[in-house]
Amino acid sequence: MKKIMLVCSAGMSTSLLVTKMRTAAIKKGISVDIFAVSEAELKNHTNDVDVVLLGPQVRFLLNKMEKTLEPKGISIAVIDSVNYGMMNGEAVLEQALDIIGNK
Amino acid sequence: MKKVNQVYEALVELEKKNKRGISAKEISEVLNTDRANVSRYLNMLYRDNRVAKIEGRPVLYKSIKSDLIQRTTMGNKNSLNKIIGAKASLRTPIQQARAAILYPPNGLHTLILGETGVGKSMFAELMYQFAKESKIIEEDAPFIQFNCADYAENPQLIMSQIFGVKKGAYTGADCDKEGLLKKADRGILFLDEVHRLSPQGQEMLFTFIDKGYFRPLGETEKVIYVDVRIIAATTEDPQSYLLKTFTRRIPMTIVLPALRDKGMAERYELIESCIKRESKRIGKSIYVNRNSLISLLLYDCPNNIGQLKSDIQLACAKAFVKYKSKEEKYILISQSDLPQHVKRGLMKIQNNREEIDRIFKGKGDILRFYYKDDKDHNISPQYQVSKGFYDVIEKKLEALKNAGIEDKEIDNIINLAIESHFRKYIENLPKGIEKNEISEIVDIEILKVVEEILNFAGKRLKREYDEKIYFGLALHLHGCIERLQSGNKIYNPKLNMIRVDYPNEFVVAMEIARIIDDKFNIETPLDEIGYLTMFLASNTLGIRDEEKAKVGILVIMHGKSTASSMVEVVNNLVGGQHAKALDMPLNMKPQTMYEIAKQHIKEMDRGKGIIVMVDMGSLTNFGDMIYEETGIIVKTIDMVSTPIVINACRKAILGQDLNEIYTTCKQMNLSNKATARRENINDKNIIITACFTGEGASERLKRIIEDKLYEKNSIEIIPLNILDRREFLCKIDQYREKHKILAVVSTIDINLNDIQCISAAEVLKGEGIKKIINIVKEEDLYLNIGKSLKEHMMYIDGKKIVDDVRYIVDSIEESLNIQVVAEVKVGIILHLSFLIDKLCGNGKETHFEDLEEYKNQYSRELIIIKDCLRSLESNYNIEIGENELAYICKMFMLNKEDI
Repeated sequence: MKKIMLVCSAGMSTSLLVTKMRTAAIKKGISVDIFAVSEAELKNHTNDVDVVLLGPQVRFLLNKMEKTLEPKGISIAVIDSVNYGMMNGEAVLEQALDIIGNK
Repeated sequence: MKKVNQVYEALVELEKKNKRGISAKEISEVLNTDRANVSRYLNMLYRDNRVAKIEGRPVLYKSIKSDLIQRTTMGNKNSLNKIIGAKASLRTPIQQARAAILYPPNGLHTLILGETGVGKSMFAELMYQFAKESKIIEEDAPFIQFNCADYAENPQLIMSQIFGVKKGAYTGADCDKEGLLKKADRGILFLDEVHRLSPQGQEMLFTFIDKGYFRPLGETEKVIYVDVRIIAATTEDPQSYLLKTFTRRIPMTIVLPALRDKGMAERYELIESCIKRESKRIGKSIYVNRNSLISLLLYDCPNNIGQLKSDIQLACAKAFVKYKSKEEKYILISQSDLPQHVKRGLMKIQNNREEIDRIFKGKGDILRFYYKDDKDHNISPQYQVSKGFYDVIEKKLEALKNAGIEDKEIDNIINLAIESHFRKYIENLPKGIEKNEISEIVDIEILKVVEEILNFAGKRLKREYDEKIYFGLALHLHGCIERLQSGNKIYNPKLNMIRVDYPNEFVVAMEIARIIDDKFNIETPLDEIGYLTMFLASNTLGIRDEEKAKVGILVIMHGKSTASSMVEVVNNLVGGQHAKALDMPLNMKPQTMYEIAKQHIKEMDRGKGIIVMVDMGSLTNFGDMIYEETGIIVKTIDMVSTPIVINACRKAILGQDLNEIYTTCKQMNLSNKATARRENINDKNIIITACFTGEGASERLKRIIEDKLYEKNSIEIIPLNILDRREFLCKIDQYREKHKILAVVSTIDINLNDIQCISAAEVLKGEGIKKIINIVKEEDLYLNIGKSLKEHMMYIDGKKIVDDVRYIVDSIEESLNIQVVAEVKVGIILHLSFLIDKLCGNGKETHFEDLEEYKNQYSRELIIIKDCLRSLESNYNIEIGENELAYICKMFMLNKEDI
């Protein structure tokens, strides 16, 4: 099963987004594991995921994380701010699946 | 094979055979070519760092082993390359130093030349580090330093220190003593101020340099061989007779450039590293305002980096005292913390404007320095970092406080302590001024008096006098005294006018005249006092002491005495008469009031701007208009109440700047404003188009924009005439009460505080339309975010919170003078919205790792953000804790874009 991890600074806003993404996944009939962590917990979770999505407010992590994740074959991207702002679970799930599909 | 390589090979061959340096002539004989040609190739090789020169007659050349060069030039991590300026002013010295160390088989003895404070000792030490790094000497090889000036009055003693003594060599030499040269075996001996060595000592040193052995004093038979590289240093002028011997006998001469010969960017780096070093001692960020940095960049610093360093230390120490004693919230170096001679640096800004602008591009008004931010120039371990000095200050402060001594008194005592700590350098300073060209024209006595006069006048008139006045007055006084002493008269035709126009300066000038009379035994006539007055009253650059000039507070209100009675209360409560009032009776025309207000503001302005506090109506626009007309920076706060005026007045007296005061006042006002805004949230957003008539261009602009906007429904476009600026601003205010104005598009230039203005030209070219579309899009996005949050927020209204938080995020950006991109902003706004929802539901604070350290690093930013968040806290009745605050701060600081 594919694993999608969301990261934001304290883990508040993404947890809602996770719920909405899960609902979207169930509707689509896809089985994926989606979870959210805070910036501080990030380093404990970089081994067993397929894609990491950053909240726009922690965009500064992108460059740093790319370096550690790339060798492991994990993709990383910033969540589209419009979708993030509207908590559009479906669209963010789409974004994640796209990235996994393109690997 | 290329000729140049042939020469190189020949050199290597000859070296192998002869085991010494090779001259051009020898090579030319082997290759059977012209000697001049060979010399040319050798010089090419020298420039490429493939051979080294041994100065002398004839000049000898040695090959530098290429693998060594490879090893050390490849890695940029060696000690020498870490010096500030390694790629700039120290480029050549470093190449030379490298060559001297790597030179086979045992390196070259080196002479370092340079003025006091250019870093000769440090450079020698780094050469030693480099020698270790390139495995030329052992890891445990000694580095011995000796300053020949220490025993300058006793040449015998110096020699015995360096070369050692045999028992019985002279009276008192009662046992054999090993010299430093022996102690430095297998390592490096650094002889500072080597020109202080006696001729006899010099000869002994040269013998060692030439032959590799020496005799201790009193030793006649055996010689001692040691393997020591000598690095000698001196401040002597390279052209001096004394030095000729040295440069002739010591093979490598390295000249270190003076501070004034270094580029501005390099000097900035030096300043940065000095401040960071202090930051490391204190363990906190040090903030420095821009003007102070400019002063540090530009002031005359005759004793070079050494002086720069101690001047910076002095400033840091003063700022540290302020932070500790007055419980200022963070360590900030401002102009008042700089020594007088450093402050003068700012006066030179006119001639260096471009370079300064380049250096400060993208940096705010207050810059932060923190030792851990350091990446390239790590503070090397060999510099002992001691907190000593700061600890002493802290302890002293505490002791004085416990003893119940008043704050002001404590300040004096501590400042005295600091000054004496730095006296060594302060005493050096008159030298710098004496050196100035002016001392050739004007007597030193006069210069001293002028300095005294200006200090005195500066204190009395609370004004800062710049270099131009200093020199101008010195020249003037010189001529005047000469004239008086030779019995000539002085006549001033404008005397009476001066007396009336500048009564304060005139009084001070009278007292100054007394000083001059005493010093030069003359009698200064009244006419001359008139001239002195003019000097005191002039201020060519208009720079006044920043700390003393304050932001003006002017309260203007409708009603016969509303403003004056409010101001009376405020001044009574705050103390002093800082706030001023203007009453506007209802029958007074706005135009009349406007002229009166303008006049007052002109009189009140001390260069730091004015806060105008008004109740309502046309008064709210006065500020912008006066700014346009006079150039004085005026910010307006409307709907003021007594507490807001008290707050503003108190802050102004404390010397806070215009923006700081403005922001806090705005926030105090926010709760009212926010409600007003919210009620109309369903009204349409509007865009205003404006031209002189309100019918021609503005109508056309309206049509153009309407055509391009696909969602016309959400926006109304209103054309207005701008014939009368005042009226126009009034109308805008009226619209603002009911709508959100997204932009003003106008055929003429207008400047509105918080509304984006777009010129008609931009719209016609197309960029303007793009801007408008973006604004509209952003607006829609936030509207939708609000709608979507409405479903998810448990305790608060999603739409309302987005609006409130958006305003706060903008104000944080403004206060910190940073910007984050739109996408990041969305993220931050969401984060804050969820945070407030959580806190309203009594949610727990999220832990922030290493909070204490973060607080030390970003003390100022955290305080500013906390201030900005205050209105949110009171509106939602929550408290945003330190951990959460740190998260917010981090989001801004790490995502910020360079402006």
